[in-house]
Amino acid sequence: MLYFIGQVFPYIAVGVFVAGLAWRVLSWLKVPVPFQLTMFPAPETTAGRIMTIGKQLGLFTSLYKSDRTLWFWAWIMHVSLAMVIGGHIVGIGYLTKQFCLIGFSPDASTALSIALGTISGLALFISLIVLFYRRTAIPEVKRLSDPADYFDLLLILAIVINGMHMRLPSVHCDLESIRAYIVGLVTFSPIPIPENSIFIAHFFLVNILLMYFPFSKLVHLVGSVVNRAMLVEAAPVYPTPAGVRRQVKFFAKEEYASETATSHSQGTGSKSSGV
Amino acid sequence: MDYIEVNGVKIELDEDGFIVEPDQWSEELVLAFAKTEDVPVVTEEHWKVIHYLRDYFKQFGIAPMIRKLCKDTGLSLKEIYDLFPSGPAKGACKLAGLPKPTGCV
Amino acid sequence: MPVKPPLHIAKEQEVKAAGFKPTPESEVKEKFLAKLDEMRSSMRSLMVMLETCTKCGNCAQQCHSFLGTNDYNNFPAARAELMRRVYKKYFTTSGKLFGRFAGAEDFDDELISKWMTYFYQCNECRRCAQFCPFGIDTAEVTITARHIMSELGIMPKFMAGIAANMEKTGNNMGIPRPATIDCAEFMEDEMREETGLDIKIPVDKPNSDILYIPSSADFFSNIDTMIGAAKMFHVLGVNWTISSKVLEAANFGLLFDFNAMQAQNLRLKEAALEVGASLVVQGECGHGWRAAKMYTEGSNGPVPFKIVHVLEYTAEHLAKLPLSKLPMRVTLHDPCNYARAGDIIEQPRQIIRSCVEEFVEMTPNREENFCCGGGSGILMDEMMEIRMQLGKKKAEQVKALGNLDYFAVPCSICKAQLPHVMKHYGMGSLSMGGVMDLVGKAMVFNKE
Repeated sequence: MLYFIGQVFPYIAVGVFVAGLAWRVLSWLKVPVPFQLTMFPAPETTAGRIMTIGKQLGLFTSLYKSDRTLWFWAWIMHVSLAMVIGGHIVGIGYLTKQFCLIGFSPDASTALSIALGTISGLALFISLIVLFYRRTAIPEVKRLSDPADYFDLLLILAIVINGMHMRLPSVHCDLESIRAYIVGLVTFSPIPIPENSIFIAHFFLVNILLMYFPFSKLVHLVGSVVNRAMLVEAAPVYPTPAGVRRQVKFFAKEEYASETATSHSQGTGSKSSGV
Repeated sequence: MDYIEVNGVKIELDEDGFIVEPDQWSEELVLAFAKTEDVPVVTEEHWKVIHYLRDYFKQFGIAPMIRKLCKDTGLSLKEIYDLFPSGPAKGACKLAGLPKPTGCV
Repeated sequence: MPVKPPLHIAKEQEVKAAGFKPTPESEVKEKFLAKLDEMRSSMRSLMVMLETCTKCGNCAQQCHSFLGTNDYNNFPAARAELMRRVYKKYFTTSGKLFGRFAGAEDFDDELISKWMTYFYQCNECRRCAQFCPFGIDTAEVTITARHIMSELGIMPKFMAGIAANMEKTGNNMGIPRPATIDCAEFMEDEMREETGLDIKIPVDKPNSDILYIPSSADFFSNIDTMIGAAKMFHVLGVNWTISSKVLEAANFGLLFDFNAMQAQNLRLKEAALEVGASLVVQGECGHGWRAAKMYTEGSNGPVPFKIVHVLEYTAEHLAKLPLSKLPMRVTLHDPCNYARAGDIIEQPRQIIRSCVEEFVEMTPNREENFCCGGGSGILMDEMMEIRMQLGKKKAEQVKALGNLDYFAVPCSICKAQLPHVMKHYGMGSLSMGGVMDLVGKAMVFNKE
């Protein structure tokens, strides 16, 4: 059992995560955008477009201008989540000595690493609870919510609680053995999972989350980018430059009308212009 | 389907209360409509507007521009609303047996 | 339909007269799912927007439809749910595997009537997309839902009537050519009386450089808009014409069926080619502007002419127009399809400032403005009560401005909706009209 959880399941989980997300994105990108959906005022240069998308995704600007409170908690949640994930990578990778790279002493680095981890963990924990509460407290949001919406929050919350639990001195978490284990997985030479039940629970839940991710609304991670990209697409130019054509697959008439006047009878519903 | 009864004959109306068959229009129909359209008495001025609308429609297949209606009948828009509380499009055209003006009006 | 929508639904003969095919009751579910499948496979927006929503519910407080009607299904994410739930059931892994847990639900008897009820209470204004963290545009869902229903032969009577008129005459009102000429002559007489000048409104003039496409309502109720444009073209001395074949900047197809949209757009293209115009100028019509600007390329391929809006054109030539500022306090309503969907934001303001002494902005404005409540063709008489609710936020905006002499409303649907709204909320005496109307009124002519 432990063998499966420690040395097989992680590969399945990550594999499904990566392949699943790629599959979702490709399934969107292979569907054409028949008509530009530019939202005005719109940026007019590529740099401008990247800036607009970047600001929206990094700062949640549209939320900021509509609901400050939601913006605050949603932004804190996402930022602290990012910090927690980033902190795992450098914290485990460098065994808390990552700040030595910028001149801190080993002890100071460890102290800072632990402090940042604690703060971001707490921020994540609190913001998840606030968002969960919000979902139950605002009537139309509550009515809108599916069980999955609560489940997603609770799953991440469980992972956070487990993770925070591991910080307690009473739960002895040996960072070196954890790093060795992770390195083993990453280099495709897995070793047995450290036999710390809190760590095993934490790690297992993360893998569950990874597997579940591509089939849930958590795909907004990538969906947000694809959607924002549509909204900043350049508007059509007229007269139409040479070689420009857009693909619309659902018109009943399969071909564009020619330059000469044609009859206007439209066939509707009878022809499904195939997929 | 709704109906309005005129001289014992049932005249078909659509959901907006306009007659479905333009040929079924008659002056008696106007009097029947007047009751439901908040027009207590059908006066000379009412008839002037109604006949103007019918003539224009016969010639051009559409209701006339509101300002032209006002100019040619010598009535202001306010006066037309006084005569036909639902207005030139929904009130006067209905009594005149024209189809309901549609689109952004 | 078990639940009764507040709309008059087109009957079989009306559907057929509009050029659509009714679907027998027993085939509705199958055809519905086939159409939904077709649309999700050909419109990226539909897939991404249905699958990316995280149900945060932020859109509720930004949607005038929800705020005005207080009906749960009128808030954007909930409205999209009417499609999302059945979409998930049939087309997503989580929906197929997890069912209700993931928010999936089967097609049931009530779905179509709910669609007819709620997708015709969305004004397709795109305001939700401004505030959604991902920019999800519920208008895309609404547009697609209406298209699917129309393809099944389920449409409002209002739309069916307009579709039949569009087929027959190329405009929503059904104005035939002789009437167009008569109306043009009448307006020419009016202008002659006013200015002493022979200002023409050419109809079907061949070899014209500019094809002007007004809204058909400019030939019935809003003639000052047409007159304003005619005066401007006259003063600039351009070679222009209108076309009796396409007397309609509007393209109601965008509001209920993509095939009808393509057909109307083709009329635009053909008319422009026929008169040989190198420039098409669209009149004061909101969604028609969006359709012409954003949907021409996809609908009917490459076009050899430029397409601009009359407000863009006027703003460009503003310096050449002999305008004398009217002593009025004026505010502007930014039609949704100009600001959010059409990139016409600063031009109306520039023009108004040149035409009147005092211009005041309402709040919010530009791309954050509230819809008038009539958007996407919700102008049916039977919907009047709901329309007044949809216009509530707009009325509040205007009321907050105090005394006004004129309310500039450069879109025909807004011009049809707002007088009712203003009257309903106690501002019935407020004078209203387009921006070109102001241009016409502010224009000075040296009387000969």
